[in-house]
Amino acid sequence: MSSRSFRSVFMVASCAGAALGCYLVSLRVASERAQLEDVESRIVLAERDTRVLQTEIGTRGRLSQLERWNAGAFALSAPAADQFLKGGFELARLAAPERKPDFKAPVVLASAPVPERRAPLAEPPMDDSGAPAPAATPNTLLHEASLKIETREVPARTAALLPQAAARSTDKPATAARSAHKVSAEKPGLAAAHLRKKVGEKAAPIEAVSTPRFAAKKSVDKKPIVTARALTKLLRIAKVDPLAPLPAHHSGNSKGIAAER
Amino acid sequence: MNAPSPALVAQRPERLRLVGQRRQLLAVMHQRLMFGMLVFAGMVAIIVLRILYLAAFGDHAGRKEGPTAFVPERGDIVDRNGDPLGRTIDAWTIAIHPGKVIGDKLALAQRLAQLMPEHSADQYFAMLRSGKPFYYLRRRASPDLVDAVNAIGEPGLAIEREPDRLYPQTSLAAHVLGFTDIDGHGAAGAERAFDKYLADPATRGQPLTLSIDSRVQQALETELGQAMQHFSAIGAAGVIMDVHTGEVLAMTSMPTFNPNAAGHATPDQMFNRATLGVFELGSTFKPFTLAMAMDSGIVSGPGQMYNCPQVLPAYGHLVHDTHPFGRRCSVAEIMMESSNIGMGQIADQLGTVRQKAWLKKMGFLDKAEIELRERGRPLTPGVRWGPFETMTIGYGEGIAVAPLQLAMGYATLFDGGIYHPPTILKIGAGHPIAAGKRVFTADTSYKMRSLLRLVVMKGTGRKADAPGYRIGGKTGTAQKLINGHYSQRVNLTSFAGVFPMDDPRYVIVVMLDEPKATKETYGFTTAGWNVAPVVSRTVSRIAPMLGVAPDINREPNMAEVLPYVQDAKQDAKKD
Repeated sequence: MSSRSFRSVFMVASCAGAALGCYLVSLRVASERAQLEDVESRIVLAERDTRVLQTEIGTRGRLSQLERWNAGAFALSAPAADQFLKGGFELARLAAPERKPDFKAPVVLASAPVPERRAPLAEPPMDDSGAPAPAATPNTLLHEASLKIETREVPARTAALLPQAAARSTDKPATAARSAHKVSAEKPGLAAAHLRKKVGEKAAPIEAVSTPRFAAKKSVDKKPIVTARALTKLLRIAKVDPLAPLPAHHSGNSKGIAAER
Repeated sequence: MNAPSPALVAQRPERLRLVGQRRQLLAVMHQRLMFGMLVFAGMVAIIVLRILYLAAFGDHAGRKEGPTAFVPERGDIVDRNGDPLGRTIDAWTIAIHPGKVIGDKLALAQRLAQLMPEHSADQYFAMLRSGKPFYYLRRRASPDLVDAVNAIGEPGLAIEREPDRLYPQTSLAAHVLGFTDIDGHGAAGAERAFDKYLADPATRGQPLTLSIDSRVQQALETELGQAMQHFSAIGAAGVIMDVHTGEVLAMTSMPTFNPNAAGHATPDQMFNRATLGVFELGSTFKPFTLAMAMDSGIVSGPGQMYNCPQVLPAYGHLVHDTHPFGRRCSVAEIMMESSNIGMGQIADQLGTVRQKAWLKKMGFLDKAEIELRERGRPLTPGVRWGPFETMTIGYGEGIAVAPLQLAMGYATLFDGGIYHPPTILKIGAGHPIAAGKRVFTADTSYKMRSLLRLVVMKGTGRKADAPGYRIGGKTGTAQKLINGHYSQRVNLTSFAGVFPMDDPRYVIVVMLDEPKATKETYGFTTAGWNVAPVVSRTVSRIAPMLGVAPDINREPNMAEVLPYVQDAKQDAKKD
């Protein structure tokens, strides 16, 4: 009974409480918003102050004023063209240490006992001549390695000769120019033909055969050409493809070229 | 009262009528009361609802209607790097209300005269007694003065803050910026041209970004100002433009003024020689004539030969050269030594009709297409434009254009022959580059590179060279028209240069009005002696800032022109 009679009162009270709660929430929101607006307006004021200060600094340090200071005190001028660097390398070059005599280094007299120290340095040539080395030092190993390379290069040389000889006879301008003096010195067609035949017969000893030939001819004509020849040959060797020197392939290749011709 | 009983006497009809009326009246009254109550209830309900609404959604009482972002009274003007060139600040203003003065007027007048000596005590006293409501005493007063005036303590004195326009760089780019009048409206320059943008509350929050680079502007103004002073010239003008976009990086006219105190400037200082003034710029026009001839198929290349006698008789006149060849000469030599005789012949071959059409295409017959309002209309021979005038225009005499237009012409010639209208606004998202229009062929543009480089390497413009920056260009010395006659002694010298010539990026035009000879110039007043060094010095200052790296080993393809040059004379006396 009592609960039923007070029901309406409860309803009213709960409604009022809910309304009050809502109102408090909105009040809270409004006060937060007001604080935010305060901050915003302070920011605007600060911006205005910043602007005033910037303007003042900018006006006091205006370019014409700087120019006047420069004319009076600093005397700076525009950099010349050679004061510009194009990259890190040029910069590093500037920083390279200058070579100076090192005064703290120990004084070495001209009559210092050097020979004892040079003895191990002089060993390798003695090894080469045939006498058994006293100890197998790394020096000897190195030497052997270089020897082996020389033997390997022998077939390579012939391989290099062949395609270039062919190229020379065809109309390539660059190679033609290089061999021009040679051509004028000796009969080109004939010599080339001889060479090619020899190459066709034997791959390995071609150089041994061809060099005395040229040398004989050159001793008649001109000496400097010999050196030139040697130089050009060396250059050709340098161009060799290490995969090329296969003797069987060689002869076949050279034959093919000969057939073409 | 003894009322008659109703049974005995029948009611009188008037009485009956009265009762009926009363009832009716009562009903009406009830209705009205009801209506009135409803109205009141409605009003109360509206108020209650409004209160509830405000409680729920309204603002609190202490809310400030402040701005959420700072918007200046008038928009800022900044240069292309964002450095301010024009700003509005709050300045102190001192004013007086004579009617509100309560103290001793004579003592106040004496004190004011002490503080602000621009008026005497008598004048201040007259102001105070005049009975007028308001006087401005000082605008843009210094804080010290404001303190002192405030200390007087007179309620009739009004001290207020007013928006005022300030140009922090003072006279830098004064003719480009212009100034505002007392009401804050633009009166000249960019202030006038973009007044609407700067004053509109919707747009003034964003600064107006000009294409001017203040550092470049400063370098140009300093170097040109020094030359003007050194050679005692009466005026000078200079323009630096971006070849590819038409942006004006620097533009100056001298003598200049301080826009912060524009009222003190003389008309001569206000005059913008770079855009409003038109001048006969002389030989700097020759490259255009040559390019026209190349594009028209008259000149095939720098090796074409012309007869260059000592004096060339043409259409009843005589054409002279300062240093005549007296032999046959190539086009390269004509350019290098700036021969009027040679260029006159080329222009003659071109003819009046074609010359007019080309000049129209290049924009030399109309005002320059720049945003500024101060634009001069070019002067041409008009109806007298005959064959001889065609020849003289071929070497730059008889046509007067603004220096800005000359720069525009060079930009066209060296941007592969494409014309872009000049602009003082920075090219960017808000201001895209205007559509270009082809004037010259790209081939002609390319050929002109080595020709103009030759002028600076071996010809009249040698003093314009800055090592490593590959400047190419052309000198121009025009005789000034004084009282209808061309003066032999009074000159107007100019130099139009482009750098770097192997890939043109910037054009620089400088001009000196009536330079005098000095000891170092050996008595000469020609362009090679006075304006060319300005170009050299300015370019060596600005080029590194503009990202042009100096390189001694780079040059345009000089092999195209050098074979056609017979002997390089070692003088820079002509142009």
